[in-house]
Amino acid sequence: MAVAAGIEERAAEPTRALYPSEEGYVERGGVRVFYEAYGQGDSMVLLLPTWSIVHSRAWKAQVPYLARHFRVLTFDPRGNGRSDRPADPALYAESEFAADALAVMDATGAEQAMTVSLSRGAQRSLLLAAEHPERVRAAVFIGPFFPASPVGGLRWRMMTHPRLRRRFYLRPPVARGWLKFNGAHWLADYDDFVDWFIRRIFSTPHSTKQVEDPIGWAHETDAETLIAVTAGAMATRTTRREQNALARRVHCPVLVISAPNDKVTAHADAKALARATEGKLLTVADGGHDPGGRKPVTVNLALRDFMEHEEPRRDPTVHRPNGGPRALFVSSPIGLGHAQRDVAIARELRALKPDLQIDWLAQDPVTRVLEGEGEAIHPQSVHLASESGHFEAESSGHDLHCFQAYRRMDEILVANFMLFHDVVSEQHYDLWIGDEAWELDYFLHEHPELKRAPFAWLTDFVGFLPMPDGGEREAYLTADYNAEMVEHVADHPQVRDCAIFIGDPDDIVDERLGPDLPMIRAWTERHFDFASYISEFDPAQLPDRDALRSELGYGPEEQVCIATVGGSGVGQALLRRVIDAYPEAKRLVPGLRMIVIAGPRIDPDSLPFLDGLEVHAYVHNLYRHLTGCDLAITQGGLGTTMELTASRRPFIYFPLEHHFEQQFHVHHRLKRHGAGRRMEYAEASPTVLAEAIAQEIGRDVSYLAVETDGAERAATRIAELL
Amino acid sequence: MTASVAAASAERASEPSRACYPDETGYVDRDGVRVFWERYGKGEPAVLFVPPWSVVHSRCWKGQLPYFARHGCALAFDPRGNGRSDRPIEPSAYDETAFAADALAVLDAAGIERAALVTLSRGAQRSLMLAAHHPERVTAACFIAPSLPLSSKSGPRTAAEVAFNARRRTHHGWEKFNRHYWRSNQREFAEFFVAQVFPERHSSKQIEDSVGWALEIGPDALIASELATRIATREEAEALCQRLRCPVLVIVGSDDRVVNPACGRALAESTGGELVVIDGAGHSPTARFPVAVNIALGAFLASAVAGDAGAMRTGLR
Repeated sequence: MAVAAGIEERAAEPTRALYPSEEGYVERGGVRVFYEAYGQGDSMVLLLPTWSIVHSRAWKAQVPYLARHFRVLTFDPRGNGRSDRPADPALYAESEFAADALAVMDATGAEQAMTVSLSRGAQRSLLLAAEHPERVRAAVFIGPFFPASPVGGLRWRMMTHPRLRRRFYLRPPVARGWLKFNGAHWLADYDDFVDWFIRRIFSTPHSTKQVEDPIGWAHETDAETLIAVTAGAMATRTTRREQNALARRVHCPVLVISAPNDKVTAHADAKALARATEGKLLTVADGGHDPGGRKPVTVNLALRDFMEHEEPRRDPTVHRPNGGPRALFVSSPIGLGHAQRDVAIARELRALKPDLQIDWLAQDPVTRVLEGEGEAIHPQSVHLASESGHFEAESSGHDLHCFQAYRRMDEILVANFMLFHDVVSEQHYDLWIGDEAWELDYFLHEHPELKRAPFAWLTDFVGFLPMPDGGEREAYLTADYNAEMVEHVADHPQVRDCAIFIGDPDDIVDERLGPDLPMIRAWTERHFDFASYISEFDPAQLPDRDALRSELGYGPEEQVCIATVGGSGVGQALLRRVIDAYPEAKRLVPGLRMIVIAGPRIDPDSLPFLDGLEVHAYVHNLYRHLTGCDLAITQGGLGTTMELTASRRPFIYFPLEHHFEQQFHVHHRLKRHGAGRRMEYAEASPTVLAEAIAQEIGRDVSYLAVETDGAERAATRIAELL
Repeated sequence: MTASVAAASAERASEPSRACYPDETGYVDRDGVRVFWERYGKGEPAVLFVPPWSVVHSRCWKGQLPYFARHGCALAFDPRGNGRSDRPIEPSAYDETAFAADALAVLDAAGIERAALVTLSRGAQRSLMLAAHHPERVTAACFIAPSLPLSSKSGPRTAAEVAFNARRRTHHGWEKFNRHYWRSNQREFAEFFVAQVFPERHSSKQIEDSVGWALEIGPDALIASELATRIATREEAEALCQRLRCPVLVIVGSDDRVVNPACGRALAESTGGELVVIDGAGHSPTARFPVAVNIALGAFLASAVAGDAGAMRTGLR
């Protein structure tokens, strides 16, 4: 087997505009074919390889643009690129390329695709559309090799004539013009043929760059391989009748793109193809044989328009990409705690239902976590109105009146529910999961007729609670909101197919929902299943602390203190207070190593700089660092404090002022676990904080154990809905 | 502790984060009164959200604007008297014809040829005029809880208006709808009136918002807005209805305690439009049941834009 020449050139390829999100090999009959996939979404565009003189980089002007709007698949033809180069001509029949295409689609889970082909690729594209119509949504032919026009296609048809075939192997009297298209000449002077042929493709003036690349690609294969490829193509006779018959078997929507100044395949052939397939014809002036390379903007826009126009209104009862169930997961963006436990639940769900596909309707900072885990974010998510932005705007210093902020989020909740409604109206999902997705739960209870799938509800707290200084008005309002929730559930019990409380009954505060309403615990026990706490990690799975610390670069003598405010943008004040306390803390604790984590929503450069202090932005899987530290300082958010409880680390927490959830619900749960030391921001001057750090750092602690199977239990319950 | 509560309160009084912000804003000034407008989104269909009585302003459409901005172009303007518009004190500045002309000026300023009109309560009057006199600018009209003299059963507000100028010693219930009471007890009037607008349970946020907006207009302007010239007679209203050429949708709440839903029914009949009744809703379903209104309105606009003469009844709630 000929080894690809110019492998070093391939390795030294220039920087791409976009790199694939997925790549791999498929193998058929011992021949490996290399593919790459880009972008995301439901719509798939398959850019077929053309004649093996070049490879998938021939599409480089199309890939980045199309990948912004669709999923894009390319593969190297057998005979070039990173695919194998068998010697047997029979392995280069068009049916082989078509079968490779199907194998690559199967490997990437693409049920259907819009195929795009260039030149010779038209033949395999026609075969694919004719023989596997269910896999081809639409077909685009660029500069098609379709020798069906009487005069224009004559040269190509003659090459396959049985009596003229052998001429291909005999040295021409003079190697000029099309006589260079000859196997013997390729063996004698491959460079000369490549130069001539590629320039013929880009016959439009000012195409020097377009010419350079393909000449390089042509040298990644060699004459012998190209001869085998061409012999395979010439094995059967091409006639006008046969070509037209093939084209008429294609019933999907077709677009043909061709330039009148094409010097390789005739524009008349393109017209013939459009006629035979009843497709559209787009004429690109001065496009040459590869308008995608010479006039990429025109071609890219035409491809996108064609793809979007051909996009049928999805029938909600049919059409699942891989036949499996689909879930839409809506995860609250307030902090990062929800995202992390939801990722753990998703993992367990997939273990129970391997063919489950999960789309996430989510916004920053949840998207950071999801992207880090390779999860699929629904494209409409970009239209979500920012909830974390709203909460940040509602905060001031270390003060965030959570209930008021929630009330003032009404406009955002309506807008985001309307987006959710649009999404589920266009695409069917077999399951809706909401983790503190308040807009979902509220409006589905207000309008139960809008519910079209089983709905699983998750939360780690129940009940709005008034702050003491809110007086009668706040007590009245929280009771009113809680009463509405109680009525909703009583009047429409069918809305929540399952409701899961992330914790145990003992984690629930000892309060009423309102003066004339039930106790929170009793009401929750009647209406929820309990999954116990869900942490994203199992402490037992981590290496022992010493090994972990050495992995993280923490010296055995260092007393590591990590200050983090989770995923919130409301944390500047606390981080600054910690930084202010640092000099005194360092004096009291000589081995102190203070690390401040700004998180995804706070700019680390906005924090004061001190000698010896480390400030980081977002750290994925921060729990590993927290498990290895000697002390953590945090707000009163559930996610971080419970991570610290699970890993049995000493910590100091500062519930945000006027934040009922941190002040009451989280505090109660931590007290139950005997975990952490609560301090009030208003009373903790830098000196007081420094003393607390000195007292708490490295202390032996004994907390109630945190369950590790919460995600599994939640997933088991949710999976029952599928 | 008290100081920080006060400071936090002051901050909270400022406008909360919106779900989306306008792409363009501006002022129109036809007759010396500047009127503030906003455009969200772009493209078709264009929807103009017409303000109701000047006791509130364009934020009353906050449940609708983000959604319709995503599906086309949404325009809103503050009524003269409130929001960021000027607050004249002559009654003639608040004639319905003035509001109708403001609406037209806003469309011109935003470069919108044709738009669907969506109106609430008294806004029905100015919108009916606009749609009747300028059919070439109006693609469709949706009247929500419309206030027009089309039915003998007009509702408590119309009845109260008869005694608007009367001097009384006490003011109970709708007797608060009185110019002298407004001068001395505007807040109490606002609280009473808004409570009538939202009879539905669990409407604390909607009530809080509307009372806040009602206190942004001063008593002089409020009184002037009430004394202005409106569509006074049934004949006048009917005549305008007959001139409508565009598709019409009327949405009413079955529990409207400000304007009798019979007005809305009569309007639907007179214009040959469709009627949607939201069960249990009061005078402002736009704020209390925004999802139901958005879905009904969205379906109506989709079919109106598609040239379908009839609108769609969605049967929600």
